[in-house]
Amino acid sequence: MGDATLWFGRRLPVPGPATQPGKPALVAHHQQWRCQRCQQVVPPGDELPEHVPYCRQCLNLGRLTAHTKLYTITEPNRFSRVVDGGLTWQGHLSDHQQRAAQELLQRVRHQESQLLWAVTGAGKTEIVYPALAWALAQGWRVAWASPRVDVCLELAPRLARDFAAIPQAVLYGGQPVPYAYRQLTICTTHQLLRFEHAFDLVIVDEVDAFPLAMNPLLLGAIDRAQKPQGCRLLLTATPDRQLQRLVAHHQLAVTYLPLRYHGYLLPPLTVQLAWRWREQLTRGKLPAALMRRVRRYHHQQQCFLLFVPHVADLAPVVQVLRRLGLTDGTTVHAQDPDRQAKVQRMRDGDLTYLVTTTILERGVTFPNVMVLILGGDDPVFSTAALVQIAGRVGRHRDHPRGDVVSYCQSQTLTVRRAQRMIVQLNRRGRQLGGRP
Amino acid sequence: MRPGCVWCGRRFQPQISLADLLRWAPLPQPQVCVACAQRLKPITGPRCPACGRAQATATICYDCERWGDDFVNHAVFPYNSDLKAYMQQYKFQGDYRLREVMQPILRRALAREVYDVLVPIPVAAETWRTRGFNQVTAWLTDQPYQQALVVREATKSRPQSSKTRQERLRAQQPFQLAPNAAMVLQNQRVLLLDDVYTTGRTIRHAAQQIYLGGAETVTSLTLAR
Repeated sequence: MGDATLWFGRRLPVPGPATQPGKPALVAHHQQWRCQRCQQVVPPGDELPEHVPYCRQCLNLGRLTAHTKLYTITEPNRFSRVVDGGLTWQGHLSDHQQRAAQELLQRVRHQESQLLWAVTGAGKTEIVYPALAWALAQGWRVAWASPRVDVCLELAPRLARDFAAIPQAVLYGGQPVPYAYRQLTICTTHQLLRFEHAFDLVIVDEVDAFPLAMNPLLLGAIDRAQKPQGCRLLLTATPDRQLQRLVAHHQLAVTYLPLRYHGYLLPPLTVQLAWRWREQLTRGKLPAALMRRVRRYHHQQQCFLLFVPHVADLAPVVQVLRRLGLTDGTTVHAQDPDRQAKVQRMRDGDLTYLVTTTILERGVTFPNVMVLILGGDDPVFSTAALVQIAGRVGRHRDHPRGDVVSYCQSQTLTVRRAQRMIVQLNRRGRQLGGRP
Repeated sequence: MRPGCVWCGRRFQPQISLADLLRWAPLPQPQVCVACAQRLKPITGPRCPACGRAQATATICYDCERWGDDFVNHAVFPYNSDLKAYMQQYKFQGDYRLREVMQPILRRALAREVYDVLVPIPVAAETWRTRGFNQVTAWLTDQPYQQALVVREATKSRPQSSKTRQERLRAQQPFQLAPNAAMVLQNQRVLLLDDVYTTGRTIRHAAQQIYLGGAETVTSLTLAR
């Protein structure tokens, strides 16, 4: 155990050189045991022989028992200063992006926590760059965390390229390279559980995404990983109601960017009623309107994504489509081993359609697709999910428009809220000169 | 409120059949949800009569032919990815609660075996210190057993599971008899209990020692093969 940097701002169950005295990993509190890493209560019965309680909530990070001690070294920010923050990005921000970026930078300077509410396809990552470069130039330790490992994996090479002078670490479950002490850490929100008061700035990408939303364990992890005087920057296109309430009550500063980088408005979400589509599907049929539209896309050689609520719906739907003569498409779901390859084939144009579940709702970009949602009123499609799904359309400068059609058995509150959110964002966007 | 599934943590409604209602006994309180229970598929079809491995025909498998002895092992599950995931969390991450997944299954499996004395495979003192439990005895609920074997000091250089087949086969005898073992083993039919049968080396080492203790027959039951 030679390298003291491993303990900088972290809590590890092994003592290292110059670590402060260990603190018990599980602490009894009002006749309950509480894990000091994930801050969760250990339910009675989660114990080893001889009544030694252990925490099952964060077991994946290594078991902590009442006999374990956690060791830490207070974060010393031991980095070599990079004067300009190491920003090597050569791109150009549009006027709206530039304004949002300056707003973010001002708040970061004042160590104020904030939300960037920018529509899908607004270029959120690049807007953060000026603020991030400033923070890194101050010698701040920064974490860029996301609940989704896909987002981290997509982000890491971009940040490595655009901040070439800054040493970076990428952390996620099953990462191939071991942990290293770096000024910029890109990680899943789960990995933040290992940190304590380490980061001056925590950037949380896709705050409303599963599993972070409403998850006290992960929300607590962000609190603990951030320094007490540190600040955080939340990024999302679809803040949940709790975040929206914080913004409305002026408890959280917000920067809006209701316009996409190319200056076009979001495509509106259209709803078409499809009575008892699931019964139809069991008889090997899709709603007539959906079939007509799909045939037209096929005729025009138009690529499209068809979202369905459950993995079990994928096979029957694709069967019907194949029978219609649409053979150049396939299905994707979360446990699909060829997931990345299929998405890449769709991008390359080898496939003209994908039938998929909510896993493709965010973080994927196809230059020119239309989006269809079968059963948009199903509870798996939250308001945020619907807005994100609609945001897959029109992301490219050359194809800024497109259709988003949801086939529902009935109008539901979540669908209406999604429609309303898009309308509201477009109203703000129009004020900024957005083109429909 | 009912606690969730002990394996996946999700809340679930236990399935209650009409027979359960008519039995006039407390309703079953399963620890594991239906989806997790379905992940565990016991070996039902033809299997190797010597080691219990699931295979296409009920003939002695190649590995057992190479052993060339008449040792008999029974196995409950094939050692597939689901079992590996279970063992990973239970044994290597040390999730002691997961013993409850296997307790009812092993109770039924032990009831099918014919034996006088049950001897679980012991763990080394070092393992006991880090893991905090013996993964085999934790599966037993109220079945009596004899800890007739102990692990010799300083034989366990690294875990069996990290070795290749050749390395495992060359391994030295890791067990010795506990001080009073001969008394309980004399002329008894002994059943050894272990978690995973991989090459058969461990269980045969244990069987050798049990025979030295004067047992009449030694067979074994493992959770997975």
